[in-house]
Amino acid sequence: MITDSIYLSELLDRPLLDKKGDAIGKIRDLSVAPGDPFPCVEGLYVKTSRGTAYVSMKEINVLNKRVVTIRGDAGAIAYAEPREKEILIAKHILDKQIVDVNGVKVVRVNDVQLGQVNDHFGVLAIDVGFGGLLRRLGFGKAKKGTLIPWRCVTTLEPGLDRLTLTMTRKSLSEMHPVDMAEILSQVSMQERTALLSTLDEETAGDVIGELDEQTAARIISEMEPEKAADVLEHMDPDEAADVLGDLPEKKAVELLNRMEKEEAEEVRELLEHDEDTAGGLMTTEYICFPPDMTAEEVMKELRLVAPDIEMIYYLYVVDREEHLLGVLSLKDLILAQPKAPLASIMVTSPKTVLARDDEKVVAEMVSRYNLYAIPVVDEEKHLLGIITVDDVVDMLLPTPLRRKR
Amino acid sequence: MPGGIKGINRTKILFFLSIIGPGIITANVDNDAGGIATYSVAGAQFGYTLLWSLIPMLVLLFMIQEMVARLGVVTGKGLSDLIREQYGVKVTFFTMLALLLTNFGNITAEFAGLAASLEIFGVSRYISVPLGAAAVWYLVVWGNYRVVEKVFLFACTVYLAYIISGFMANPPWEEVMTAMVVPTFRVEEAYIFMLVGVIGTTIAPWMQFYQQASIVEKEIHVKDYRYVRLDVIVGCVFAVVVVFFIMVACAATLHANGIRVTSAEDAAVALAPLAGRHASILFAVGLANASLFAASILPLSTAYSICEGMGWEAGVSKNFRDAPQFMGLYTGLIVLGAAFILIPGAPLIWIMLVSQVINGILLPFVLIFILLLVNDGELMGRYVNGRIYNGVSWLAVVVLIGLSMTLIYLAITQGIIG
Repeated sequence: MITDSIYLSELLDRPLLDKKGDAIGKIRDLSVAPGDPFPCVEGLYVKTSRGTAYVSMKEINVLNKRVVTIRGDAGAIAYAEPREKEILIAKHILDKQIVDVNGVKVVRVNDVQLGQVNDHFGVLAIDVGFGGLLRRLGFGKAKKGTLIPWRCVTTLEPGLDRLTLTMTRKSLSEMHPVDMAEILSQVSMQERTALLSTLDEETAGDVIGELDEQTAARIISEMEPEKAADVLEHMDPDEAADVLGDLPEKKAVELLNRMEKEEAEEVRELLEHDEDTAGGLMTTEYICFPPDMTAEEVMKELRLVAPDIEMIYYLYVVDREEHLLGVLSLKDLILAQPKAPLASIMVTSPKTVLARDDEKVVAEMVSRYNLYAIPVVDEEKHLLGIITVDDVVDMLLPTPLRRKR
Repeated sequence: MPGGIKGINRTKILFFLSIIGPGIITANVDNDAGGIATYSVAGAQFGYTLLWSLIPMLVLLFMIQEMVARLGVVTGKGLSDLIREQYGVKVTFFTMLALLLTNFGNITAEFAGLAASLEIFGVSRYISVPLGAAAVWYLVVWGNYRVVEKVFLFACTVYLAYIISGFMANPPWEEVMTAMVVPTFRVEEAYIFMLVGVIGTTIAPWMQFYQQASIVEKEIHVKDYRYVRLDVIVGCVFAVVVVFFIMVACAATLHANGIRVTSAEDAAVALAPLAGRHASILFAVGLANASLFAASILPLSTAYSICEGMGWEAGVSKNFRDAPQFMGLYTGLIVLGAAFILIPGAPLIWIMLVSQVINGILLPFVLIFILLLVNDGELMGRYVNGRIYNGVSWLAVVVLIGLSMTLIYLAITQGIIG
């Protein structure tokens, strides 16, 4: 007879009785094992006058809000301390921080809801609300909690990750990089490293790109250099440059040398510019074609190069010396006659900024002309890179909104 | 061309500069309105005879701050966070409740210090306190932490005012230096009480929560811990040097001329005819700065610690809807703390007394938590205290607990007499 649902706080420090109704000791903790759809309680640790005893769930006869009893005698109890890798609910989960995957938040476990479903007694949900706090403090025993089902949470401590359901782990890795970055900014450095190590390089790169530069630099500098270089390669070159710019020179050079030649070269070029200028904001990933290519040829070529490039809405037209001649949008391209050369479709003398222009100038231009991206050129009109709207939008927002990310 | 890459030219010194802050700020903010009052009165009343206590005080201060810094760097978690995770809700709840009450008293004391110091310049408290409170609130809610920290570090440099006024008082240096190294113990009640007061006010519970939180905020890697320790050393030494000069300035002028003072603002006023108008102004400016500095840190640190321990959302970039407890606590502490100074007939003395008593009760618990946590092998790994260091730490904690118990006794008996 095990109750449908009970809070951990209603079990801890309660007496465990034998079949005659004599107290064996006080319940101190519950041991759990990974399970689907929730971790299962395997046994109870009980503090007795003769030391710590372990009672398997199989021996439990009644467990509810009023009484907890075993089938057998007090004499048959086995004395045992928790094993090293064993997971205990009160010790490892209660009062700890945990990630609410759906709510994209780091929450503190005020209480744990246990219960019986299909013959399994296990962890149903965690209570993160005020009700749980009051219940723990001993005021208002019946208070209903703010429950988050176990399938929506993931633990932060490395030793506990096997309790996280496969489904939850999957939704964690599919989380939007911005949300993931938000979670990472709420946990300690040690926990962050553990969470990041569960992601592949591509996702890790996206997430790190969303963190503020100093945090990102710190994370990169703590990674194995080989892995750090891989992650940097997967990031947008402008974001990678921002991160490297915040590292000590020796470390940055080491990582650049470990990166693939091509990617490293792009990042090196970007590092030449001051952080708060157009050159510091730009990325060298953009699409450009010569003026004599036809719309048809460009479409074909575009399909090949587009997968690796963030911004494909604008196509830049350049001559052999990389002078910027004009620009056209994807829409212009689609609507053009297939045989028409780019020179006849493009807009000549597009809006541009100089590499040394201040970031505020860039933001003003992008906002005034409603652009998704703006090309960066030098004095001789050589195309150097582009700045996409997402890199300047922060500057256009009022201060409090962009402060912490 | 590795050397030629622009934008990545940070050197070791710059790296240290990026780490400093928490230790220096914490040690200095400890010289707040209450601390300065104690040191001024001590110098005026007992001359140079208490100076020797500064050396043991420095040792105690450094040991405690160092352990807290180590906890922060190794675990990456705040102190209330660790107390919650290791000792549960009940312990956390009562610790936080005590912290809230004692810090409220401290905040009120800081605004009182601000009011008193600016009244020396003829600024009414009905102007200085609301403006100060608004500035404090605005600084934290609208500035980002990196900027705020720079403002705080600047506030630390204003303490130089005390060093300058110490020199202006023109003390007999030979006598001062002798008093510094040769303990002169006087068996009289008032002297012992003052000795307890000087060392006892040095270490407060809230400093530990603040320092650990700001170190965690910096996310310093364990391998760079030595820089953090350097930050703590620099902070502690500078803070104690400031205490030295406050006591010396008051001793060389007020004590030498037999003038008794009961507060920091009295001391500032009394300095004018003896050490010159400039010394007096420097003293008053120092007090105003110290009060405002501590008033900026206390409400924030209190709100952070409590929310962290209780699991409520916290952060200065959050609004009232996202983080109601945090913003409520933060704003409430500033508004009520300031209001108590302005309401005529508010039970100011009573609040200070209660706050001092709770402070004294809370301190032993916090120090013991720190020692237990720093010795927890699961938490700290090989960064637990060494055996000898641990022995000395426990001794230091026992001494501090003894001092703080004496202070409670004093507060209660004097409060009843007063």
